Amino acid sequence: MRPLSPPTAPPRRRLRALATVAMAAALLAASACGGDSGGASANGEVTLRFNWWGSDTRHKITQQVIDQFEKDHPQIKVKGEFGEWSGYWDKLATTVAANDAPDVIQMDEKYLREYADRGALLDLKKADGLDTGKFEPDTLGAGEFDGGLYGLNAGINAFTIVANPAVFKAAGVPLPDDKTWTWDQYSKLAQEISVKLNGKGWGTAAYGTNDASLNMWARQHGQSLFTKDGKLGVTAEGLTEYWTNLVKMQEAKATPSAEFTSQDMNAPLDQSGMATGKLAMSYAWSNQLNALSKASGEQLKVLRLPSVTGKASENGAYYKGSMFWSISSRSKHPKEAAEFVSYLANSPAAGNLLLAERGVPPNTEIRAAVAPKLQPADAASAAFIQTISSELGEPSPPPPVGGGQVEKIIQRYTTEVLFGRLKPDQAATQFLKEMDGELNK
Amino acid sequence: MSALGELETLGRMKAAGPPDRAGRAGKVHQPKTSKKDNLAAYLFLTPWLLGLFLITVGPMLASLYLAFTDYNLIQAPQWIGFENFTRMLSDERLHNSLRVTFTYVFVSVPLQLGVALLLAVVLDRGVRGMAFYRSIFYLPSLLGSSVAIAILWKQVFGTEGLLNQVLAPLGIEGRGWISDPSTALGTLVVLNVWTFGAPMVIFLAGLRQIPAMYYEAAAVDGAGTWRRFRSITLPLLTPIIFFNLVLQIIHAFQSFTQAFVVSGGTGGPSDSTMFYTLYLYDRGFGNFDMGYASAMAWFLLVIIGVFTAANFVASKYWVFYDD
Amino acid sequence: MTTETLRVANRRTAGITPARFRPVLTHLALAAAALVMLYPVIWMVVSSLRPGDEIFREPGLLIRDLEISNYRVGWNALTEPFTRYLLNSAAVVFGAILGNLVSCSMAAYAFARLEFTGKKFWFAIMLVTIMLPIHVVIVPQYILFSQAGWINTFLPLVVPKLLATDAFFVFLMVQFIRGIPRELDEAARIDGCGRAGIFLRVILPLMVPALATTTIFTFIWTWNDFFSQLIYLTDPKMYTVPVALRSFVDSTASTSWGSLFAMSVVSLVPVFLAFLIGQRYLIKGIATTGIK
Repeated sequence: MRPLSPPTAPPRRRLRALATVAMAAALLAASACGGDSGGASANGEVTLRFNWWGSDTRHKITQQVIDQFEKDHPQIKVKGEFGEWSGYWDKLATTVAANDAPDVIQMDEKYLREYADRGALLDLKKADGLDTGKFEPDTLGAGEFDGGLYGLNAGINAFTIVANPAVFKAAGVPLPDDKTWTWDQYSKLAQEISVKLNGKGWGTAAYGTNDASLNMWARQHGQSLFTKDGKLGVTAEGLTEYWTNLVKMQEAKATPSAEFTSQDMNAPLDQSGMATGKLAMSYAWSNQLNALSKASGEQLKVLRLPSVTGKASENGAYYKGSMFWSISSRSKHPKEAAEFVSYLANSPAAGNLLLAERGVPPNTEIRAAVAPKLQPADAASAAFIQTISSELGEPSPPPPVGGGQVEKIIQRYTTEVLFGRLKPDQAATQFLKEMDGELNK
Repeated sequence: MSALGELETLGRMKAAGPPDRAGRAGKVHQPKTSKKDNLAAYLFLTPWLLGLFLITVGPMLASLYLAFTDYNLIQAPQWIGFENFTRMLSDERLHNSLRVTFTYVFVSVPLQLGVALLLAVVLDRGVRGMAFYRSIFYLPSLLGSSVAIAILWKQVFGTEGLLNQVLAPLGIEGRGWISDPSTALGTLVVLNVWTFGAPMVIFLAGLRQIPAMYYEAAAVDGAGTWRRFRSITLPLLTPIIFFNLVLQIIHAFQSFTQAFVVSGGTGGPSDSTMFYTLYLYDRGFGNFDMGYASAMAWFLLVIIGVFTAANFVASKYWVFYDD
Repeated sequence: MTTETLRVANRRTAGITPARFRPVLTHLALAAAALVMLYPVIWMVVSSLRPGDEIFREPGLLIRDLEISNYRVGWNALTEPFTRYLLNSAAVVFGAILGNLVSCSMAAYAFARLEFTGKKFWFAIMLVTIMLPIHVVIVPQYILFSQAGWINTFLPLVVPKLLATDAFFVFLMVQFIRGIPRELDEAARIDGCGRAGIFLRVILPLMVPALATTTIFTFIWTWNDFFSQLIYLTDPKMYTVPVALRSFVDSTASTSWGSLFAMSVVSLVPVFLAFLIGQRYLIKGIATTGIK
């Protein structure tokens, strides 16, 4: 009996692959060679590449803005490239390495200086056609350093404590006065709630899971996580106090167990303790109020952080850019790119579509125009941003090169401290040593 | 046909006892390197060689070069010689990642292969509904690297997860398996064992290739189940066991996606799941330190190379080939 | 011949324990193991049938409000209907399977059966290519493909498979071929076959389990391969299933879990089917072991 006949087909040759052999030899010089980020066709039409991360809601509204822009500017086409957060940065790094970066880039504070200090981003102050005149003055600082502006604030947010009124009610405790409360009062309040909830929840999430909480703590003590000249601005004593206080709160059961906190640290927003109704208070950025409220099914309230002195103006608050618009320094069409960024930031058409999805519009005119259109939670955070404008401290500088991962490092030490694997003072010295290594590599 | 007759003799001789180095049925095989073979061989290897030189070698050599540079992805690489490698010597987090990875390799690979082999043997017995069970046991492997696995694993091992719910009535207090630094790695070991589908399928394919007549000859000679397993199945399966061992070890050393997805990219809690490749990725893409990452990659290659070579050397003593 | 075929199906059920009890015990053990193994999967399927906000509030596996809208919503939630991503993945997978089957079997035959100068060297090189993590090769590779103009096409994902860059399968097939008795080669050579003839008529048919395994695994791994597909495909219209699934997750705002789970279930179906169908060829392999 004959064996079955084989199901194979003859292999195909790829002529193009042979051409690539020659290309492969020029591999390493590629970074210096010209790439192609956007083309210009014969009739003067320019194509820009624009990338952003976000949810599908954001994708839809941003695409609508692009369509509107293309209508208003027939000579410019914009190709949108979008995805989710973590893949976004891998892709951006790879495309920049291959000199293939998009023209307009949605940027985050963590990576702003990593790219800008190395020359990958355009100084927007020198960009033609970019108007920041109507921007609230405090909002530009977040993207400025070394005399240049490398990221245009795309949405203001501030670091807040989010409170769940329903949980407060269940514990029979009134909401606090966030204009005058101190850390002591905050801690006692949380403890009281935990006791009254009797295992069904806790008063507050642990801090130390976000670099902003350390930053605000430092600012309340006359320091800052990072200084303007790109150095670490916290001391060992400050850090020790920060973590000692945290451990005390955990021991008093004001915060959940170490395991819960560890799990909560990197849980997606709608899986967090606040969203699942287990915490009366938690830490969040003001522009996350909408998503948190939806996930928890309650109208959450936004509160200021407590201060050392009990005065709201001394709680270290600052305006952050939830994200920034940046332009690639190697873009072939900087003028058109600047036009597009200006459109995103200043045009009423864009403002009406984007609303407050990326944060409160820094352009005061746009902000006023969209205020009545906002959903209740977004309106509440916008009102909050407005209210604290008189209480702000100095703008907070973005992390320097090597500092982008500081949040992950803080989280690691917080975990160690909460599990009792390190004492606060040990964590403090080790943290400083590690950050030193990262910043001065 | 004389070939069949020879084969039958071979079969009976093999069924009679465990093979040893001389157990190639007394035939001495002399491979000849003739000109004809060279041409044929290289002709058959052409697609692979093309792929090697056009797609693989270039980037690999590039990454070797980068290992000796300071490369931040944005600016051109700067030559720094062995500095990356000396830095690796004092990098505590790297040593930790080596510990984590080695633990993972030496615990999860034997477990996974053991389970895979056990189930392959059981399923191969001709249980009714075998195809169904095979598919069921393979299903987890399909999910293993998906984005949903993080949530699913939390559902099982989280503070409110299934495991704790099951332990509660037994009086054992549950913990945050996935968020406690001392147990988080364990959950990833379980995840690797859970996805035993791939080696299981390969074992099954290997079991299926063992000619039935060997078993029949053995049954005729009165050998029992365990004897048959030990004397026929295991020896004839050794090439496949070897294959699975080598590849699962390489695979485990390179394990990335599961740790990335379950820990949210952090290697947490507290670096307890910071696998070597996760740390490498973090350094390269997160810290823009691609030169150091490349150095780490080549060091890993050396480690894996050493283990694989050791595997190959040891294989002469326990793997039995039919050719 | 018929008796042998029958025996083939039930060859190892003869044993010491009474034949009656064994199937029951085995079934019970297997069923229990299956349930434990499948819990996360079952939970995911059940969650895809629950309204979004109930997913994490309802414990247990019993569905109170059956909700299939997750499937409809999820299908259209992203900028393209999910069909587009399924088709994209299918195209990539098909090309990859074809490529692997052809090129890897050829390379494996050379390594397993032919003697040639440099054999050990090339074999070692082949193994080394498996050992380097993709993250450090991706940037040079991206630059390579970018110079060739292949970014945002499926070419960087398929062409490497046509050139046997999946050394895993070469190695797999080598091990399988080495398990085929050389006597059969000799028999074919006596019949007048050259190297290619032996390859096509003897080795390939006997390698069906390995070919089936290669097909199944290429399908599954390419279907689930996230990183390269993320890096090389920039236009969302070109996205494949794993990249599209990730888009459902937004760690900074709210994730549509219902849609994610629904679409994860949907994307499991083709791979699962591929496995169901493919595994029959693993069984068929036994019928063509060169005894006849």
